[in-house]
Amino acid sequence: MDEQFDDSEIGRLLRLKRHEQPPPGYFEDFLHEFHRRQRDELLRQPLWQIALNRAHDFMMGLNVHRLASYPAAVAAVLICAAVISLKIYEAPQSSELAQSTPVISAQPVSSDNETWDLAPASVTSATRVASLQPPIHFSNVSTHRTATPPRYVLDSKPVSYESTLRF
Amino acid sequence: MLRSLALLLCTMAISARGQDQAADAISREVKDLFDRCAKAVVKIHGVDEHSELSGTGFFIDPTGTIYTAYSVGGEGANFTVEFGGKKMRARQLVADLRSGIAMLKVDADSPALPIGRAEQLGVAAPVVMIGYPLDLPETPSFGMVAGFDRKYLDQYLTTTHLRVNLPAQRGEAGAPLLNMKGEVVGIVVSSLENSSSCYALPIEAAEKIRGDYMRFGEVRHGWIGAHLAEAPEQKDGSRAELTDIIEDTPAADAGLKSGDILLQVGTKQIHQPDDIIDASFFLTAGDVVPITVLRDGQKVTVNVEAAVHPAAQNHAIAAPGTNQAFPLRLEQPTDNTP
Repeated sequence: MDEQFDDSEIGRLLRLKRHEQPPPGYFEDFLHEFHRRQRDELLRQPLWQIALNRAHDFMMGLNVHRLASYPAAVAAVLICAAVISLKIYEAPQSSELAQSTPVISAQPVSSDNETWDLAPASVTSATRVASLQPPIHFSNVSTHRTATPPRYVLDSKPVSYESTLRF
Repeated sequence: MLRSLALLLCTMAISARGQDQAADAISREVKDLFDRCAKAVVKIHGVDEHSELSGTGFFIDPTGTIYTAYSVGGEGANFTVEFGGKKMRARQLVADLRSGIAMLKVDADSPALPIGRAEQLGVAAPVVMIGYPLDLPETPSFGMVAGFDRKYLDQYLTTTHLRVNLPAQRGEAGAPLLNMKGEVVGIVVSSLENSSSCYALPIEAAEKIRGDYMRFGEVRHGWIGAHLAEAPEQKDGSRAELTDIIEDTPAADAGLKSGDILLQVGTKQIHQPDDIIDASFFLTAGDVVPITVLRDGQKVTVNVEAAVHPAAQNHAIAAPGTNQAFPLRLEQPTDNTP
C-alpha cells in the first residue's frame, strides 16, 4: 500500500466517494458503446481478412479430427473451397452496406436533427434499419458522451431541512 | 321478489351512470385546465457537475421569469428552456436551497400562470400537476392534497410542505401544482419514497423568495437566534418555550430570555413549538418583527430586527439592487394569463 495514505486518509476518501455513482444509464450505454466500437473495429479489417476469419471459424466448427482419412480430407477441402467462394461472393454486399450505414440508431433523433442517440442495437438491427434511415456519416454521429441521455430530475425527498427548532 | 330485483338493477344502473358522469366531468375539467395552462409550463435543460439534466418549470410573469425546483435550476449551468416549439437560453436568478426552489429567466415575452393560495387548500382538495416526465411531452396528472407536513423521516422541513397523492415521475421536479381554477398553489420539489406521492412547496413560500429578490436582488432568510422546545404545560394557548437564547443575536439584544413562552411572531400565532417553522421561514433579514412572549404571567412584546439566517446558502446572480426579473411591473399579470 502506498505510504502516502494512512488509514484515516483512506477512510476520508471512502467517505467522500461512497455516494458517488455514475449517471443513470451509464452501464447500459457502456455496453452499447463497447459493441459499437467492436463493430467499428471489425469493419476496419480488409475484406480478405474477414473472409479468412470466417472460413477459419467454419473449419474449426467441423471438428477435423474425425475427418482424418484421405477421401474425407479431400471432401473437406472441396467443401471449404465452396464455402469460401460463397463467403467471398456474399461478403462485399454486406460489407458495403454496413460501411455505407455505419451504426445507425434505431431510436428517434432529436428534434433539431443535429444530435443522434446511440441505440442499443446490434449489428444486425443497425443494418436492418439502414434501408429505412437516411445514410449518416461518422462525423454526424455524436460521441458516446454527448449522446448520454440527460438525468431526469426528481429528488426522493425535499432538499432542505431544519436541524433544530430555532428561529 | 321480481320487483325488488328490478328495483335493485335500476338503482345500480342509475348509480353507475352517475359515476360515469362524475368521471366525465372531472376529465373535462382537467383537460380544459391542461389546455389553458400547459403553454406556460416549460422543459428545462441544464448541465451540472455530474451530467446533463432535465426538469420542469413554469412562467410566473409575462417577462419570462420561471419557477423551478432547486434540484433542476439550483446547481446547474447552461440552461435552455423549451416552450412554444422554441428553445431559448435561460439564466439563473435565484438558487435557494432553504426553500428548495430556483428562479430562471429567459429574455422573451411569455405566457404566465396565475398565482393562487395554497393556504386555502384543505385535505382532499383536488389538484393537477403539469410536467415533463422523462423525455415525454407535457403531461397532466390529477391527484389530491394528502396532508400538510412539517416533518418528514424524523426531520423538520424548513416550512410546511404540501403532500400530494399524485405520482410524480423523474423529470417533473419543478412542475406547477394547480388548483382547479388553474392557479399555481405549489411547486413540486420531490417525490416520496415510493413515488406514488410527491411534496410541493406552497406557492406562498416561493413568493416569499421572489419578494426578497424583488426587494433586495437576493434572498434574505432571517432569524433572531433562539431555540425552542415543548413546555411542560400550556400557557396562554402556547406550549412553545424559548430554551436557549444565543449570544450576540437579535433575540439576545432584544432581551428575550430562556423560559419565555412564545405566543406570536409577526402575524403568526404560535401554539406548538413546530409552529415556529413557518413563522421562521417568512422572516426576512433586516425586517423588524414584533415578537410577543409570556414572561412571569405577563405578555411582553419586543421588536426584533432579524439577522441573516446562518443556514442560508442563497445567491442571486444579478447584482444586488438590480431587478432584472421584474423590469415592467410587480402586480399580477392579467392579460397573458391562460
